[in-house]
Amino acid sequence: MAWEYSEKTKQLFMDAVHGKPGTHLGEIENPDGFGEHGSLACGDAIRFTFRVRRHPTDPTQDVITEARYLTFGCTSAIAASEALCTLIEQGGRTPIEALKITNQDIVNYLEGLPRQKIHCSVMGAEALEAAVFNWAQRRGVDLQSLGVDLHADERAEGRIVCKCFSLSEPYILRKVRELNLHTIPEITSAIKAGGACMTCHHVPGGLQDLLDKTWGTGKPQLKVLPSLPILNDVSAKPVDEEQPSLSTYQFGKKIEKAVDQYVRPMLRKDGGDVEIVDIKGTLVYCRLVGACQGCAHAGQTLRILVEQTLKEMVDERVRVIGV
Amino acid sequence: MNVIYADNNATTRVAPEVVEAIRPFLTTEYFNPSSMYEPARRTADALAQSRAEVARHFGLADPSEIIFTGCATESTNAAIFGVVRANPNRRHVITTAVEHPAVLGVCKELEREGCDVTFLGVDRDGNLDVGEFIRVLRPDTLLVTIMHANNETGVIFPIEQLARLTKETDPSIIFHTDATQSVGKMPIDLRGELQNVDMLSFSGHKLHAPKGVGALYVKRGTRCRPFLIGGHQEEGRRAGTENVPYIVGLAKALQLAAEGFLDENTRVLGLRDRLEKAIGERIPHIEINGRGAPRLPNTLNVSCHCVEGESLLTQMDAYGICASSGSACTSGSLEPSHVLRAMNIPDAAVQGSVRFSFSRYNTDADVDRIIEAFPKMVANVRRISPYWDQEKNAPRLG
Repeated sequence: MAWEYSEKTKQLFMDAVHGKPGTHLGEIENPDGFGEHGSLACGDAIRFTFRVRRHPTDPTQDVITEARYLTFGCTSAIAASEALCTLIEQGGRTPIEALKITNQDIVNYLEGLPRQKIHCSVMGAEALEAAVFNWAQRRGVDLQSLGVDLHADERAEGRIVCKCFSLSEPYILRKVRELNLHTIPEITSAIKAGGACMTCHHVPGGLQDLLDKTWGTGKPQLKVLPSLPILNDVSAKPVDEEQPSLSTYQFGKKIEKAVDQYVRPMLRKDGGDVEIVDIKGTLVYCRLVGACQGCAHAGQTLRILVEQTLKEMVDERVRVIGV
Repeated sequence: MNVIYADNNATTRVAPEVVEAIRPFLTTEYFNPSSMYEPARRTADALAQSRAEVARHFGLADPSEIIFTGCATESTNAAIFGVVRANPNRRHVITTAVEHPAVLGVCKELEREGCDVTFLGVDRDGNLDVGEFIRVLRPDTLLVTIMHANNETGVIFPIEQLARLTKETDPSIIFHTDATQSVGKMPIDLRGELQNVDMLSFSGHKLHAPKGVGALYVKRGTRCRPFLIGGHQEEGRRAGTENVPYIVGLAKALQLAAEGFLDENTRVLGLRDRLEKAIGERIPHIEINGRGAPRLPNTLNVSCHCVEGESLLTQMDAYGICASSGSACTSGSLEPSHVLRAMNIPDAAVQGSVRFSFSRYNTDADVDRIIEAFPKMVANVRRISPYWDQEKNAPRLG
């Protein structure tokens, strides 16, 4: 799909991939703040680091002097990372002030993003939050006492089930009930959960468990496959009236025995062999191997030798199909 | 800057000869082939002649087995829904997990309508397991619909063998193949090796005809309801005034393709193989997807670890190279390529997949420029990637 990227987005991307001076590609060693968001499976990920000029007495007065990123992702993810670092370095912000940068600020800096690419700007904002949280821990800043609670949403909403789209258990459970979702594909279509890496589908506490929790387990009934009509004939009208009807298993055993006894020895004399691929009713699927494989007489061998033998020894309705 | 077009599995340049063949029907020969007056006879004749040429391309004696449609997607929809509606006594359909959405989407719709659909998986090289195919055939199997060649990887399925096994098991099972990627790239004989195929779909724009024309082969005697209803055209099997100009173009394009089979399988194959080898030598940590399977001569699908495909496409675009990617970011949906996922290729490699697909209009110089530029572009984004440092020292990912 051709995306309508702004000139600004394309320029930032090209500058970054060519490592132009003034771009923010890289990772700061021993950073004051470190944050990551996304994963390989999701298709985009950022590692964001920053350095501050430390205030001698009050860490909340630290000022960010340098910001760097490493990003795995598309054009807009890389451009958004560049935008984030530029915005942060502008205007000497403290980490707490930097938190005021929203994904909308990033979108504005990029002069717009296609709707489907907004998550690229969100990813940058998420990594920034994580890095600021990390800085606060390192510097002993109690964010909560300052009225900044980075994980308020997560704590209020509980465990994250779909990591790719950061969707929590209470949220998914609510939507499953509200929208009457009964299958994982239904959940994915409705709220995206499980739509990217899919690892949350069947793990304990994953989407299937949430569905079961909501609707009960209702173990799927094993489907009863109709048997081939020709096989029904076998059981209805045994070849030999005296003999009891053969089960599929018994029939298969009989075929294999006949092949072992009468067919294989003959084929092996010529350096060939036959492999029974499958038996369905009275259809026997065989593959000639060894010297027989690709032999000009393969068709005849199957029809005359294999099929005739099985007709005589097992059941006259046997038909051999070469695989 | 010249554009290097290496995305021929997406669409192709219209051949100049095709443009010339179409031109009269866009200018002076505009008549409706169903009309009664003399000038309309000429358009009706052109239509009949084109149909005969298309039939001949597939070794068919009866041109009425060819129905013209608007695109391959229409053909697959018409074939699958048509067969299901005409045969309500059977409800099982077999397809694969790697079909084009034009088949996959239809099959998922069938599931909603109460059909039981089996989606066959593939191995790491993209091959089907023939034994598994035999196992899933059932007494109530109505339709098998399996693509001939895969659009993303170029992997060719053994349609001849699968169709024969189907018919030998139960002649009333209908076998349809989506041959959109193979028609025009390899000879297809529907009375020879593919005689057990009942229905075949393809479109014109993959073989240097314009977009907006396709065809569906329906073997005489195949039970199938019409898809577009409301007219006598195409013997009532596809209503709507025939797109005479493009049908003429499609026939011409098939004729050119037949003349070009040798070129496709020698020179174009050579371009692909040279690019594959050069990329393998110059870029570490890559995988050629489908390398272990029979493949179309023009298609190269390569996965570069630790990078995201779209960021490669943007760089190539700036350099005038057109290609495509299976990454989630290019799909317009949340999901990366379903084909590569079905092949069990690690996520990291699916995201970094790029497809190059050539045609008769590509040259050695095109390949030289890709070889020169592409490895640098991969290195550029790997430098930015947070995963590359670990990966480059590890033997292999996944």
